[in-house]
Amino acid sequence: MSALVDLILGIVTSIGGFVEVGSISTAAQAGSEFGFQLLWAIAIATVMLALLVEMSGRLAAVSKDSLAAAVRERFGIHFQLVPLTAELLIDILLLAAEIGGAAIAIQLLTGVGFQWWIVPVGGSVWLILWLCGFGLIEYGIGLLGLITLAFVISAWQLQPNVGHLGGSLLPTLPTHHFTRYAFLAVSIVGATVSPYLLNFYSSGTVEEKVTESELWVNRTTAYVGICFGGVVSMGVLVTSAMVLEPQHILVDSYEQAALMFVPVFKRWAITLFALALGVGCFGAAVEITLNAGYVFAQVFGWSWGANRPRRDAARFTFAFTLVLLAALALSLVRFDPLRLTMLSVALTVVIMPAVVLPFLVLMNDENYVKTHTSGAIGNGLLAALTILGCLLALVVIPLEIFGG
Amino acid sequence: MGIARHKDMVEHSRKRFCLISMAIAAVGFTCGACVRQEARIQEHQEKLESLGSTTAAIGRAWLGGDTSGTFTRTALEQTFLLVEQERSALADSPQTLLDPRAAHLSQAAEGLSRLLALTINDVDAADSGSVRRRLTEIPIMPSARR
Repeated sequence: MSALVDLILGIVTSIGGFVEVGSISTAAQAGSEFGFQLLWAIAIATVMLALLVEMSGRLAAVSKDSLAAAVRERFGIHFQLVPLTAELLIDILLLAAEIGGAAIAIQLLTGVGFQWWIVPVGGSVWLILWLCGFGLIEYGIGLLGLITLAFVISAWQLQPNVGHLGGSLLPTLPTHHFTRYAFLAVSIVGATVSPYLLNFYSSGTVEEKVTESELWVNRTTAYVGICFGGVVSMGVLVTSAMVLEPQHILVDSYEQAALMFVPVFKRWAITLFALALGVGCFGAAVEITLNAGYVFAQVFGWSWGANRPRRDAARFTFAFTLVLLAALALSLVRFDPLRLTMLSVALTVVIMPAVVLPFLVLMNDENYVKTHTSGAIGNGLLAALTILGCLLALVVIPLEIFGG
Repeated sequence: MGIARHKDMVEHSRKRFCLISMAIAAVGFTCGACVRQEARIQEHQEKLESLGSTTAAIGRAWLGGDTSGTFTRTALEQTFLLVEQERSALADSPQTLLDPRAAHLSQAAEGLSRLLALTINDVDAADSGSVRRRLTEIPIMPSARR
């Protein structure tokens, strides 16, 4: 019974926690510029994320080690410094973007400039991490995040052509703006497969003391929950393609993106969009901050855990506070939250091999996963997609920034 | 004698080859610059058309009672900022503005900025008649091209 409850809660939180600033921005831009044509990128990224999350849960349940701790142990601190530094830099950028996204959501509701909300949002993130345990953080955020199902309802109500939707799940080349198309495809992958999610999920598995006998719960949660989460992300793209593309509105601001809800939700459109954006971003900000504490503590061998009293894990608390302060400082510099988001999610794909490839090695090491090693097809597919994505990102990011 | 003449011919061919290569490179560079300039103007046009369409969508949503005055004002102000960014990006070099299409776009952007400022004022005054009229005067809207 307890396993069933865990399963349901796990699936619900995976759905509710899927959409955040990166997925909303990338999917909204992709829909407004290329219609349904980039749905395949969300589908591929969702499959990649489901495979990786299942693996990270399996690693943690069998070895009782989180991903960062296992990489540190298997490859040593000198190797670990590369993915650690890369991940922390991206996490700070992403955290600044999430805080900016939550602040923009409040701006949409109140009309008061988003810069005024950055410090209160950051303070609230810290307060939640100070006061709440892991279960409350994970399930609370996941349940509140169900508001993002509004994107699916909206896409459903707009009655898209099912044949066109199905056809868009296969990759095709665009008729115009090839660089932009490739950049958006890379950004969608980066927004979906955030490296922080892998360590966060494995740390959560350790925190919740999941055992080897509960691997089926982990597998079902990862596959079902994340695939439904992918559907929410597709809902953003489809709504944007159905509402904004016919009006030739390119999404350059969240105010433009919010207009996608108007035909379906009318008076509630802006409130619902702001709540979906705000809850998604705030939840992701809490998770990224907590994960920063996890990564530091696990790599340097400090005591860690959201369920521990803070005084028993002082260095862990200090680490996540420091990362939050760094992101807040970045957020307070005058910046365009949408551009920062797009840049950080695209850069995520560049660092992905440094995180994913060592992880794949661990998943074939019986010292860590015993008999539960990964199959050759899954490993090969993930390694190929990761490297391909990285190479594509290295080409299209400079072209997008400096003009192609 | 024969060897010296052969050397001269080789030297002459080399010079000719260099000259032709430089000419091709110069033509290629000029064409590349023209294509880049054309692409840049096209990009600005699409952005400005999108912002014109955004203005219309925000206005229609407000007139239909779907959005509050607070959101409408914020959204129009944000659109105004984006138009101004596009306008300054368009005018960042004198060469660009020499192009008649770019010059026309710059004027349309200025007109759109002014219209946005007036519309914000009308929304503040809750003057729906005036907002409705302004929406028919948006100086740049998407063509059927895309």
